[in-house]
Amino acid sequence: MRRKKSAKFLIAFFVVILLFWILVPIYWIVKTAFSPEEEAWNIGLPRHPTLTNFRDIFVGSQGSMAEVTGAMLSISPTITTPLVNTLLVAGGAVVLTMVVSSIAAYNLARFQYRGKRIVSSYILFAYVFPPFILMVPITVIMNRLGLYDSLSGLILAHLAYTIPFAIYMLRGYFMGIPQELEEAAMVDGCSRFQSFLRITLPLAVPGLVTVAIFSFVMSWGDAVFSIVLLNTQDKYTLPIHIGFFLWGGEIVDPGRLAATALVAGLIPAFLYIGIQRFVRMGLVAGAVKG
Amino acid sequence: MTIICPPGYPGGQITKKERRKLKSKTLGVWAYVLPALLVLGLILIIPLIYTFWMSLQHMPIGKPPTFVGMRNFSRIFRDPIFYKSLKNTFIYAFPAVAIKAIIGLGVAVLLNQEFRGRGILRGLAILPYALQPFVVSVLFWFVYDYRGIGNILLRVVGLKPIHWLGVQYAMPSLILVNVWHGWPFFYLGFLAGLQSIPGELYESAEIDGASSWQRFFSITLPLLKDVFLIVCGLSLMWTMGDFVIPKMMTGGGPADATLTIPMATYKIAFLLGLNYPLASAYAVTILPIFAVLIYFTVRHLE
Repeated sequence: MRRKKSAKFLIAFFVVILLFWILVPIYWIVKTAFSPEEEAWNIGLPRHPTLTNFRDIFVGSQGSMAEVTGAMLSISPTITTPLVNTLLVAGGAVVLTMVVSSIAAYNLARFQYRGKRIVSSYILFAYVFPPFILMVPITVIMNRLGLYDSLSGLILAHLAYTIPFAIYMLRGYFMGIPQELEEAAMVDGCSRFQSFLRITLPLAVPGLVTVAIFSFVMSWGDAVFSIVLLNTQDKYTLPIHIGFFLWGGEIVDPGRLAATALVAGLIPAFLYIGIQRFVRMGLVAGAVKG
Repeated sequence: MTIICPPGYPGGQITKKERRKLKSKTLGVWAYVLPALLVLGLILIIPLIYTFWMSLQHMPIGKPPTFVGMRNFSRIFRDPIFYKSLKNTFIYAFPAVAIKAIIGLGVAVLLNQEFRGRGILRGLAILPYALQPFVVSVLFWFVYDYRGIGNILLRVVGLKPIHWLGVQYAMPSLILVNVWHGWPFFYLGFLAGLQSIPGELYESAEIDGASSWQRFFSITLPLLKDVFLIVCGLSLMWTMGDFVIPKMMTGGGPADATLTIPMATYKIAFLLGLNYPLASAYAVTILPIFAVLIYFTVRHLE
């Protein structure tokens, strides 16, 4: 059946609205990041586009507006330290998550035993649990463990998001891999665990990569635990760093703020879009608790 | 007496040796999940129990904690700030979830049609969700600045510029940020749901003379019900528990206009006098609401 003209028009109309809705805030930040200071609040593209903002956030500069107002004095003037910290935390969280979750997910995918229902409900419970309730007790516990204000403490806290999510996703992946392959390996003399390591894991690589990237992004985007657990400047991660650009409710240095947000936002966005074809509903559920 | 045999032990009774073997096998099975259970115990279960314990204590700085029973709770129930933050939590979460669901459904239906450029749009539609909540907050700092795009758009449609994060508009502005960030979650859920509806249903309905609206209401919506319940349950829970957007946008202000329960918990615990027990009592008081939502959602997810 050929579609009517009115239907075509309707689709075009809604597509334009959709694009406008998605792109306006993003356009504004991209444009501001490439604008010199005097053009920061213009609506159009900058007439003299510049990379100064990016140079400034990585190398630092003198006499920017933020330093004049004193806003930036309280934090590291460049993005380098918080960026490295965020990368370290996300990387550490991903490694631990993948090791712990892959074996647990394999267990849930393959074994039948008493108590399994409780285990899987427990993990689902952890998966949907709102993290703000843990803010206070985790701070106290990290203090007791001597991990308050340390990146390793933050990594540990991030596992509360990433492990349940990863187990839940990987379980589905493992269930999709035929069990007969492992059985064949076991007939040839592999132990159960060896057959898991040598047969199932290599076959699950696309799933492992996807889950690792999602875990990375979850840790990267966390502001709840980093805000309560980190207390000194050389430990700050990106969400804390970016918070200092707002001084008394006013944006102090639009160009550098926009450039910082672009760097912080683009890396996970690229990772997400890169793996989009693997993305199914289940994979995205809970990727960001928001 | 019947003995139920595990698979691999066909017929007959299990000998002692076999039973021992089976037992060690079960132990081996637990070894796979043990690390995960331990880590989650340390960062989820122990903190949760600790929250309950703290909510019953008085913990002055530098002195040992003392048991005070329900005093923190009776203080909460007399505290107008608590009722205000509870109300704000609902005012924030319910409209946000409803609007996200409507936009998500609309976009899912739109991007389920066939037209050129659909693939690119499907990628773009995830973008707001792929950006971190703290980055989204920064985007909206620019939108809500007095010189920002928000006021420019108001002028275009002939309205006066406003202070977006002033007392009057702070809450709707916050909801808008949450909606902009969160609707693709609904879109992804609904799109997956739509794609699982067999096309023949629509064809036969069309042959029977159903209009496209009729088809939408009597085929599409009923078949999306399960997805709808799960997605709304998850989103309601996470929106009610959202800390990052209120913290980054307004910090609960101005004049507590956007003080939600997570924000209030944070303020009491970390900004005003480090009152951990009172903050824990806030969390415990709202926990039943989450427990119901968690139970409901987990049951559907399983």
